[in-house]
Amino acid sequence: MTEPLVSIRNLKLDAATSRGTAHILRGVDLDIGRGRIVGVVGESGSGKSSLASCLLGLLAANVRVLDGSIKFDGVDLLSLGEGQMQAIRGTRVAMIFQDPMTALNPLFTIGTHLIDVIRRRSPKVARRDALARAEEMLRTVGIADAALRLKAYPHQLSGGMRQRVMIAMALLAGPELLLADEPTTALDATVEAQIVSLLQALRRNISGSIAFISHHLGLIAELCDDLCVMYGGMVVETGPVADVLGKPMHPYTSALLACEIGDDREGRLVSIPGEVPDPISETQACMFAPRCAHAIERCRGEVPRMRTAADGRKVACHRFEELA
Amino acid sequence: MNALREALVVLRRVCVTFAGGTGFIIVLAVLAFALFAPWIAPQDPDRLDVLHRFAGPSAEHWLGSDQLGRDLFSRIVFGASVAMAVALTAIAIALSTGTLLGVLAAFLPPRSERLILILFDVILSFPNLVLALAIVAVFGPSTTIVVAVAAITLAPNFGRVARAQTLTLRNAPFLEAERILGASGWRIVVHHVLPNILGPLIVLASMDIPIVITIEAGLSFLGLGVRPPLASWGVLIQDGYQFLSDSWIPVVVSSLTLAIATLGFTLFGESLRDAVDPRIGRER
Amino acid sequence: MTKEAARYFVSRLVTTVLVVFGAMLLLFSLTTIVPGDPATALLGPQATPEYARRFIEDMGLDQPTYIRLAKFFGNVVTGDLGIDVISGRSVSAMVWSVLPSTLILTFSAIGLAVLLGVPLGIFAATHRGSVVDHVLAFTSVAFIAVPSFVVAIFLLLIFSIWLDWLPVLGAGREGDFWDQARRSILPIVSLSLAWIGFIARLVRTSMLEVLGENYIRTSRAYGLSERLVTYKYALKNACIPTIAVLGVGVGRLLGPAVLVEIVFARPGIGRLVYDAVTSRNYPVVQGAVLVVVIVFVVINLIVDLSYSAIDPRIRRGTTSQSQAK
Repeated sequence: MTEPLVSIRNLKLDAATSRGTAHILRGVDLDIGRGRIVGVVGESGSGKSSLASCLLGLLAANVRVLDGSIKFDGVDLLSLGEGQMQAIRGTRVAMIFQDPMTALNPLFTIGTHLIDVIRRRSPKVARRDALARAEEMLRTVGIADAALRLKAYPHQLSGGMRQRVMIAMALLAGPELLLADEPTTALDATVEAQIVSLLQALRRNISGSIAFISHHLGLIAELCDDLCVMYGGMVVETGPVADVLGKPMHPYTSALLACEIGDDREGRLVSIPGEVPDPISETQACMFAPRCAHAIERCRGEVPRMRTAADGRKVACHRFEELA
Repeated sequence: MNALREALVVLRRVCVTFAGGTGFIIVLAVLAFALFAPWIAPQDPDRLDVLHRFAGPSAEHWLGSDQLGRDLFSRIVFGASVAMAVALTAIAIALSTGTLLGVLAAFLPPRSERLILILFDVILSFPNLVLALAIVAVFGPSTTIVVAVAAITLAPNFGRVARAQTLTLRNAPFLEAERILGASGWRIVVHHVLPNILGPLIVLASMDIPIVITIEAGLSFLGLGVRPPLASWGVLIQDGYQFLSDSWIPVVVSSLTLAIATLGFTLFGESLRDAVDPRIGRER
Repeated sequence: MTKEAARYFVSRLVTTVLVVFGAMLLLFSLTTIVPGDPATALLGPQATPEYARRFIEDMGLDQPTYIRLAKFFGNVVTGDLGIDVISGRSVSAMVWSVLPSTLILTFSAIGLAVLLGVPLGIFAATHRGSVVDHVLAFTSVAFIAVPSFVVAIFLLLIFSIWLDWLPVLGAGREGDFWDQARRSILPIVSLSLAWIGFIARLVRTSMLEVLGENYIRTSRAYGLSERLVTYKYALKNACIPTIAVLGVGVGRLLGPAVLVEIVFARPGIGRLVYDAVTSRNYPVVQGAVLVVVIVFVVINLIVDLSYSAIDPRIRRGTTSQSQAK
């Protein structure tokens, strides 16, 4: 098997907050294969958005990388200086943000936004040619009246259209890695469905890999090749999406599935008992243990490492063999 | 006494910063001068001593003397009284009338409200010194005019703030509850609206103090403000400026005093505003 | 122009006209509440009986209030601001002859403030927490707090009297541009100092706010250079509050401009009004004040409307124009 495009090993991220040090990522291991769409699923606070920001090197001032490596095509991104990282952004790595309403500058036209991205790869391109390319891309993402929209301002477009513009921007960058940070969370359900089908249709245009971050398992099931489940700042399970969803190996994954499907015989809404873990806590235990129906003594005292469970599948659970 | 405790907490927050602390010290000094002028000033500020005009600083005249031999330091100390008296009176008037109109505007039907707002806009459309000059032209200069002009200039802003604050409160559930319980309009306003809008108004008042001091000083500098024997800092500056060729000390000393006083009050006012601002996490 | 923009324009225009009306009413009412005999109170001892009679006739002081009001408004609209007591010249002519001088002073001061204040604000925002930032913060407050005429006096003392670098007073010889320019330096600087501080702080705050916005994060995420992000994208957003403030600034500066003109013995509206007030020359005061108010209000209006040229959200309205997804 070829080398994965992205190889994250033992990534630890800390944030300085007023309440103390928050451990946002507690040693994340993740591979993103070339040409694969990886879905990263987790609740709010699981650290998935921070993971994306880390890949871009755009962390807030109070956040710092404690340990670990992010190998992008063989190069450790964490060892690169700001200048080198800047060269990668918008050319080799691109990101689609969660809230299209605020992600575009209200004082500049769509055309300007797109041209500046085009100029990242082709600095000398003439404005007219850049506009033509931008217009074509807008059409590709399903925006009618593309020429008109180029001259429009963000507030004149609906949320769904703005997100299409963001997708167009990302495609124009032609990245090897596309990060989609909850791109449909802020949209209506119908629009959400349209964007997802757009992404499915565009798969062919995208030769690189995609990391699709969401808390919506259903979407990820539709769109992604591989699945990565995160909880409490750690990756708890990875593998091909059909395998993981068909036969989940980590108790959290099973619980998550149960919530989505609502698989309770009495027909009540299923939820996972307990609370989301506090990032400030310093426990040396499995983060899910307090809420896990299968937790044993060992789970509360020792952090489970990611272990290979089957072909292409990894789990971080002390008891996954028994529970399978 | 809860209010007092809250005030002390805010004060502490102000004094912790360099700017706030410096401002507070200056404010205290000016207030002390103003309140205790007769005891602080070594001499009678109006005592003429024409034989010793333009004297330099000495044991007898700490900061020297002016063109009529009067002790500069004493005049400066009493100038603080004038500045404070004018400022506090003007602000008190502006605060009360402005707030009254503002709160009224929030409760009145749209037409009347519009009228009040236009009144505010008209007053605000006059650069305040120009308005002052127009009024002085009609009524002649006097301390009362200065106070009146300052009050008129500042009232609209109090009105706007009061109105904005009242509007946010108007639909608050607890007011609805009071209304249902049958409380009269007045009661609601006095007991419930006023206490809640007081915060921003007090901050605005403290930030207006240096503005009034400046207006008064400017008018007095032109000879159109306070009348003798009252001597404000503006008058001192004018005297010093007129006799610049005889000595530069009076003008420098009085100008510096005015500068330091306005600086101090501004620093204090801004620190106060930052300390009271509920968005505590925001940067300086 | 969309319907919304047109409506906004009209409503601003109406407000402006109402404000001017209100100002005129205010000025007019001053003459009605004058204690005692208006003519003597307003004109003082210089007025000859001949002039007093003409004044009373002109202003309609011997007639019922509503007729006076009508006359007043009629006069103003036709541009007749009355006759100067002492010289007999038309007030309009006097005012218009000195207005440019004051306006040049005021606009130059604001121009200088923008020229220096904006870069300083940007620098402070991009070097937040540095020594320069702290120093700037303190000095901006100092500049804002100290009254302009005090600054004027200090500058006069330092640069004209002690150092003798710049000429002392007056506006300079007619037609000699350099002489006039030299004499304008200190007055313009005195006036602009407060606004340099104010604008620097405003730009700094706006920039910091804008730099934290999501759309700036998008620009950074696409690897746009920090220069592009700061000077093309962030700056435009940050300028909006500054522009809003500039319109009011011109008006606010008119007061201090008066004092600065007097400190430097320059001709201008300030001197005109001051001399008129001290010599009890009411028609001049009234005329000058009126013109000042109108200029102030009109400039405000222009700035307000040009606001919409910069912020497309106001210009084009906020209706979402597409239903197709």
